[in-house]
Amino acid sequence: MCQYCSPDNPLAHHDYVFNPKKGRREFILDSMAAAGGLSAALGGLTLPNQAMAADEPFDEVVRIGYLPITDASALLVAHAMGFFEDEGLKVEKPTLIRGWSPLIEGFAAHKFNLVHFLKPIPVWMRYNNNFPVKITGWAHTNGSGVVVGRHVKADSFADLGGKQLAVPYWYSMHNIVLQMALKDAGLEPVIQNQTDPLKPNQVNLQIMPPPDMPPALAAKKIDAYIVAEPFNAAGEVLAGGKMLRFTGDIWKNHPCCVVCMHDEHTEKRKAWSQKVMNAVVRGAVYAQENKEEVAKMLSREGKRYLPMKAKVVLKAMTDYSPANYETPDAIKHEDWDVGRIDFNPYPYPSATKFIIDQLKETLVTGDTTFLKELDTDFVVNDLVDYEFVKNAMDKYKVWDKVKGVDPANPTIREEVFKL
Amino acid sequence: MSTAQMSAGAEFFSSLSQNFKKLPMWAQSFTNAVLGMSILLLLWWLGGLAIASNPDTAAFADFAPGPTFSALGYMLETGSLWETIYSSLYRIAIGLFWGIVIGVPVGVMMGYFLAVRQVANMPFQFLRMVSPLAWMPIAVLAFETWDAAIIFLIVMATVWPIVFGTAHGVQRIDPNWFRVARNLGADGFQMLRRVIMPAIAQDVFAGIRLAIGVAWVVLVPAEYLGVTSGLGYAINDARDVLEYDTLAAIVVVIGVIGYLLDAIAVFLIKRYSWHAS
Repeated sequence: MCQYCSPDNPLAHHDYVFNPKKGRREFILDSMAAAGGLSAALGGLTLPNQAMAADEPFDEVVRIGYLPITDASALLVAHAMGFFEDEGLKVEKPTLIRGWSPLIEGFAAHKFNLVHFLKPIPVWMRYNNNFPVKITGWAHTNGSGVVVGRHVKADSFADLGGKQLAVPYWYSMHNIVLQMALKDAGLEPVIQNQTDPLKPNQVNLQIMPPPDMPPALAAKKIDAYIVAEPFNAAGEVLAGGKMLRFTGDIWKNHPCCVVCMHDEHTEKRKAWSQKVMNAVVRGAVYAQENKEEVAKMLSREGKRYLPMKAKVVLKAMTDYSPANYETPDAIKHEDWDVGRIDFNPYPYPSATKFIIDQLKETLVTGDTTFLKELDTDFVVNDLVDYEFVKNAMDKYKVWDKVKGVDPANPTIREEVFKL
Repeated sequence: MSTAQMSAGAEFFSSLSQNFKKLPMWAQSFTNAVLGMSILLLLWWLGGLAIASNPDTAAFADFAPGPTFSALGYMLETGSLWETIYSSLYRIAIGLFWGIVIGVPVGVMMGYFLAVRQVANMPFQFLRMVSPLAWMPIAVLAFETWDAAIIFLIVMATVWPIVFGTAHGVQRIDPNWFRVARNLGADGFQMLRRVIMPAIAQDVFAGIRLAIGVAWVVLVPAEYLGVTSGLGYAINDARDVLEYDTLAAIVVVIGVIGYLLDAIAVFLIKRYSWHAS
């Protein structure tokens, strides 16, 4: 029975004093204060224990998770063109996710079995969080750039001293390439409070979600950013920003996003994985050969995989004419024969080695002890599966249809990194 | 300006305010509401003007009322808005439903039994301070569908105001009522049905009113997850493509729906209010 109902109970006195005056108002204010805590954003990301999903029954339906960026093109084209069905696979409509964190969580929870991640994400997933993820191919190559605001006078990286720069993610090719370029120009990348003073040779970095970059640039909250398309195109068009340099012009045919699958599929469901990669390779090659058609197909006017208008996607995928990018000189290596975005699904070991070696030198926040102990040569073979993508490239004879391939020795290349 | 003119002006305003006070109550409150909305519109318009007049940010001036209402008109015309509203309202309704189904009984228990209150108070205070969005990874892992994950996030947001509102309502009941009821021979169920429920109804609805507000706050970031419909999804979509007129139009829609839901809650609070106002 109700204990405080008896006013004689001393506990009840302690706990409760009837006071009609102190009533709802205090309570409401209190609750509103609680609601204020909502705005606190997600902090660190914790990867779930794999055991939670381990006993789920295997099903053959290909479930794709993707972010609404052109990086996902190969997967989306493979779905749109029915390449998965051609391989006899069942496939669900790809699921749009809006952040790397939920995409990683969805993949970890086996909601997806085929995703694209920024290249360094699977590195820390596998070696820091021991999550059994395998890179089975590259989602695309090139396709990023450094955009500076119209209020900044900068013709080269050396002019970025004392500026505020934004990157999409600490563990990203963008962060690595940007910091290499800054260091090459004699600048020192730092991560500190935006209001703290910077020395003339220091550059402060911060993480920013790509959609926020163009408005932040226009409002002068940041001086420049490095990101994948189509947010460079948006920054150029809307914020009046200038393309300082395309990343594909610094590191020839560099990887950016990679295609990832679960270990258990690549190891135990080899036939299934082969079919999946066959479709993805066909999707990548189709995207490489038909960029304009693909841009329209993915856009809002087409099959609505991406929310952007065809015009924007088209610019983001095809506008790489040196004439448009003379000042600043964003394309210094016209002879490299690269595009604004390209697709070559083969995951060259030399690039993985390069990216992991450089990641060790790159400034990030968070605990990076696992990186220091990482043996690069071991990772190159342990993290990446070369077999399926190579078989697919051989099967469809597409080695000569993608860029940066030596026909005599298609699975080996030398990394070209020139500032 | 002469003294005569000034006093004439003052007289005009004083007679205006006199006349205003003579108007019927509904007309006065309507006028005040219109005034409030006009101030809001004016500030909004001025903000848009400030952005548009700065050459750096001019490309982002679609926030202003003009582009917003034309985008809203377009969405109404194409009918794309209704499905969007429906899927969000559905998630909010289910989330609120579970928030109430869980929150009210737990709140009654907390308010009624001292021991329950003492046991539950600390863990509940702890949990309610956790941003519902911090549950996102757990929601993704624990629920089969994305819809269920979003509804879970809404429940995690809405249940606390309802629990604490209900508990507070039960605690606020004058102990003498229980004494009277017991003296009149009421058993536990009758106590609940005849004393507690009517007494706490308005506190419960006040809790629900707060919960509705929180639910809308959580909805937008929650629809970051893998769904392809809803107001939050539409806002995220507009943000991804930098279409700020659409974004602002959806904000207006959320505001209107939120206001209507709030009005329903206020009506219920008033309907079940037994305090002399």
